[in-house]
Amino acid sequence: MSSIYLINLIINGLIEGMVIALPALALTLVLDISKFPNVTVGDTMSVGAYAALAFQSIGVPYFFLSVGGAMVVCMLISLATYYFVFRKLTRAPMVVNLLASVGLAFMMRSVLQLNVSSQPQTYDFPLVRAWNFSGIRILPTDLWVLLTTIVTLAIVFSIFRYTDLGRRLRAIADNPELARASAIRPKYPIFFLWCLFGALSALGGVLIASKSVLLPEFGWEFIIPAFSAVILGGIGNPVGAVLGAVIMGIASELSVAFVGPSYKITIAFAIMILVLLIRPAGLLGSPEKAR
Amino acid sequence: MDAYLISICIIAGIYALLAIGLNIQYGETGLINFGHVAYFAIGAYASAILAGKGVPVPLAMVLAGLVAALGAIPIGLAALRLKEDYFAIVTLGFAEAVRIFVQQEDWLTNGVQGIASIPPLFDSSTAPGYQNHLFAAVIVSVVICAMVAVALLQRSTFGRILRAIRENEVAVTALGKRTASFKVKVLMFGSFLGGVAGAFYAHFISYISPEQFIALVTFYVWMSIILGGVGSMKGALIGSLALVILLEGSRFIGDFLPGVSDVQMAHLRLGIIGLVLVVFSLYRPQGIFGRLD
Amino acid sequence: MSKNRRHMLAAAGLASLLALPLSSHAQAQNELLVGAMTPVTGAGAPYGGNMLKAMEIAAKEVNDAGGMAGRPLRLISEDTQTQPQAAVLAAKKLIEINKVQAILGTWASGVSLAVVPLTDAANLIQMNVSGAPALSTVDEKDLVWRFQATNDRFGRAFAEIAEKHGFKRPATMAFNNASGRGNTDGFIKAWEGKGGKVLANVVYEPNRPSYRSELQQVLATNPDVIVMGSYLPDTTIILREWFQSGAENAWIIPGWAANPELVEALGKEATEGVIAVDTVSNTDAESYKDLSERYREATGQQLADNVYAAMTYDMVVSLALAAHKAGPDATPQQISDQIRAVSNPEGEKVYSYAQGKQLLDEGKEINYEGASSRWDSDEYGDSDPHYCVHVIKDGKFDRIDTISLDK
Repeated sequence: MSSIYLINLIINGLIEGMVIALPALALTLVLDISKFPNVTVGDTMSVGAYAALAFQSIGVPYFFLSVGGAMVVCMLISLATYYFVFRKLTRAPMVVNLLASVGLAFMMRSVLQLNVSSQPQTYDFPLVRAWNFSGIRILPTDLWVLLTTIVTLAIVFSIFRYTDLGRRLRAIADNPELARASAIRPKYPIFFLWCLFGALSALGGVLIASKSVLLPEFGWEFIIPAFSAVILGGIGNPVGAVLGAVIMGIASELSVAFVGPSYKITIAFAIMILVLLIRPAGLLGSPEKAR
Repeated sequence: MDAYLISICIIAGIYALLAIGLNIQYGETGLINFGHVAYFAIGAYASAILAGKGVPVPLAMVLAGLVAALGAIPIGLAALRLKEDYFAIVTLGFAEAVRIFVQQEDWLTNGVQGIASIPPLFDSSTAPGYQNHLFAAVIVSVVICAMVAVALLQRSTFGRILRAIRENEVAVTALGKRTASFKVKVLMFGSFLGGVAGAFYAHFISYISPEQFIALVTFYVWMSIILGGVGSMKGALIGSLALVILLEGSRFIGDFLPGVSDVQMAHLRLGIIGLVLVVFSLYRPQGIFGRLD
Repeated sequence: MSKNRRHMLAAAGLASLLALPLSSHAQAQNELLVGAMTPVTGAGAPYGGNMLKAMEIAAKEVNDAGGMAGRPLRLISEDTQTQPQAAVLAAKKLIEINKVQAILGTWASGVSLAVVPLTDAANLIQMNVSGAPALSTVDEKDLVWRFQATNDRFGRAFAEIAEKHGFKRPATMAFNNASGRGNTDGFIKAWEGKGGKVLANVVYEPNRPSYRSELQQVLATNPDVIVMGSYLPDTTIILREWFQSGAENAWIIPGWAANPELVEALGKEATEGVIAVDTVSNTDAESYKDLSERYREATGQQLADNVYAAMTYDMVVSLALAAHKAGPDATPQQISDQIRAVSNPEGEKVYSYAQGKQLLDEGKEINYEGASSRWDSDEYGDSDPHYCVHVIKDGKFDRIDTISLDK
C-alpha cells in the first residue's frame, strides 16, 4: 500500500468531507438555536441543486449567478417553513418539530418529483482531467469546493463571533428565556438564521450535485452524514461541524484501504463514538449544552 | 377484501409492537433511540436463520426477541455517558452498522440476496385458507400482552423510577438509585419487543433483505408514537394504526382524482402524507392521546 | 375510553369507506385486469415511471386492435417504492381488492421475490425484470416470467465479449445489491471457468456522491478492461471520475447503464470506446420505430434510454397474445400456458400485437419478437436472449456484434 495511494485517499476524504460540511453547518446552527434536528436540510439541498440547474438551463451566464439564484430560492423556502410552521412550534417539544420537519421534507420532495424528470441529470460543465503530481491527483473543481466551503465557513464564523446579530443568536441559543427576558427581540436574528439555513443547504446541494448527479431523492441520503458530523464536532459550533465532516470523510475513505468500501460508514461512526467517549459533547462542543 | 384488511391489521400490529417498545424508551424514560430498526432487523434475521435451521417457528421468534434484547446492551452502555442528541446519533450509527453487517456477512445472512422462503407461522396444513387470520390473531394477542406488561410496569416502582429519570435524572442519582441499570433494562425490554416485531415481519413477508431495514422504518415508528401521543401506550397502538392507514389510505386517493396520471399520483402521495404530518404537528402536537403540558 | 372507541370506529369506517367504491369498480364485461407494479419512487425511480407509461402504450395498442378474444385489457397501477414491504401491501391490494389476474412490471429483485409467493398462491401470472437467480426456482406453477436475462447469463455474456475482444486482465465493479453483484459474480464465474483471473472485484455502496476511492482500488491493479454491474447514476459518477483520473482502460457496461443519456451527461470524449451490452431488440423493424415514436410522445424521452420500458411493453403484448390464443374464458394459468406458444421460435415472426392477433385468427403459429429482446423463454420462464454489443463512437452507439449463449 503505497503512500501515494493513501495520500490520494486522504484527499478524496477531505473533499467528501467538505461537501458534507455545508449542510452540517446549516444543521448545527438550527439544532443549537431552535433545538431540533431539521430534517428538511436534505430536501432543501435537492431543491437548491435543481434550482441552479433550472437557472443554468434557461441561459443564465456564469454558473455562480445560477447558484446565487438557487440560494435565494432556498432562503425564501426555509424562511417560509419557519414563518408558517416552526415559528408556531417554538414551544413544542423537540419531537413535534422533528415530525413537522419530516412532513415538510416530504412535501418539498413531492413537489420536486412532480416537476423534474426522475432521470439523473448533470450540470453543463466541460469535463477536465485532474492535475497529476507524480501519482497524487487533484481536480481543479475540488479546489473550488474547498475554497467555497472555507470561505463560507469563515463568513459564518465571523458573523457569529464578531457581529451583534451573531451575539444575539448565541444568546438565544444558550438561554432562550433569559434572552427573551432581556428584551433581545428574536424576530430578525431568527429570520436571518433561517435564511442562512436555506442558503447553506442550497450551496451544499449544488456542490454535491456538481460532483455527482442530480436525482430528486439525493438530498435525503445526506442527512445522516451531516447529522453525524454535527455531533462529532459539537452541536452549535460552526468550526466543529466542518471539522467533524472532514474527519469523518477522511476516516471513511482511508478505511477503504483496510476494510473495503462497504464498511466505510461503520468506521466513520466508530471514530465518532470513540471521540464521544472521550469528549461526550463532541470535539469542540461545550459540555453544558445538554437540554 | 378481508384478506387485505387482515394484512393491514398485521402490519399495524408489527408497528404497534415497535411503537410500544420505543414508547417505553422515550415516553417513559426519555431515551432518544433513533436506531430502533436495528432490533427489528436483528429479530427478523435471527428468526429467519433459526427457522431455516429447523427450529420451530414460535420458538425461533422468542429466541429472536432475546437476541435483539442482548443487542441492546452495547447501546445501553453508550447511553450512560451521553446526552440526548449525542446518544441519538450513536443509536443511529448502530442501526446503520447492523444493516451493513447483515449486508456484508453472506455466510450468515446471505447478504444482498436476502433470505427467501422463510417458513410461515402457520403452514398450509393448519386451517387452510385461514393462516393469515390466525397470524393476525396471534399478533394482536401479543400486542395485548405487551400492553398489559407495560401497564403493570408503569404502575410498579420500576416504572416510577423510569419516569423520575425522564424528569430529573440528577435527582434520582442523588437519591442513591443507579440509573445506569434501569436504562439498560429499559432498552433491553424495548428491543425485545422490537425483535419480536421483526420476527413476525419475517414470517409474514417470507423474504427479507438488508435494504428493507433502513432508517426510514425508525422514522415511521417515531411518527406512530408522536401521532398517538408520546408516553401513552394506547397512543402507541392507535398511532400505529393511524400511520398504516395514512400510508395505505393515500394509495387509494388516486382512484378519486381522475385527472392525475398514475406516475404523478405516486409522487403526490408523498406530499399528502407530508401535509398530514405538518397539519398534525400544528394542530394536535400532543398526539391523539397525549396531554398538553 | 370513549374517545378511544370513537377513534377506532373512525379508523375502521375510513378504511371500509375507501374500499367500497373500488369493489364496484371491478370487472366490466369480462375485462382482463392487469396489475402494473413498477418502481415509480425509490431506487428504481429513473426507470419506473416510464416503465409504467410503456405498459399504458401497450394496453392502448391491444384495445385499439380489438382486445383479446373480445376481452378489453385494463391496467391498474401501484407504486412499489422499490421496497419489498410496500410492494407486498400493494400486491395484496391489487389481488384482493382489485382482483387482478396478473401482476406485471416489478423491477427490484427484492420486490419480485416478495411478490411472487403472493401471486403464486393466488394462481396469478407474474412478470418481472429482476435478475436474482432465486426467482427461477421459487415459482412452481410456471406462472412467473422473467423478461430480463438473469444476472448469471449477463455475466457469462460479458465474459464471452471480453474474451472475443482480446482482453486479458479484467477487473469488476459492482453496485452493492443483488442485481449488480449478480452480474459481476456471473462474469467472474465464467471468466475463471475459462481459466482466467480477475484482478479485482470492488463492490461499491449506493447513494454516494463520489466513488474515487473505489475506482482507485480497481485501477491500482492495472486492468485492461473494467466490467460493471451498475445503474445509470453511479455509472455517470464513476465514468466521470475515471476520465478525470486519466486512466486508459476499456469498459464493458450493461445497456441500462450505458445509454444515450450517459453520453449526454458526460460528453463524447469521456464515453468514447465504451462497450455497452444489451439484449437484442429488433431496432430496424417498422414496429420498433413506431413504438419509439409513441413512447417519445408519451414520455418525451427515447425508448433506447430505458431498456426496462421496452421489456414492460413486451410483457403486456405477449400476455395479450397469449390471452387471445387462450380464449375468452381462460384462467390465468391457462393464459400462462400459452405464453411460450406465442413467443418461442416455432411460428411466424410478429412484431406487434395487431400483427400477432391477425395471424392467430388465421389459425397460424406465431413467434412474438419483442421490443426488448427476441423474447424466448427457457424452462423456468426466464428470458434467453441474444446479446447485442455496441461500442460508443463519437457519441453514437455502433452495433458491432451479437452474442448468443445457446449451446
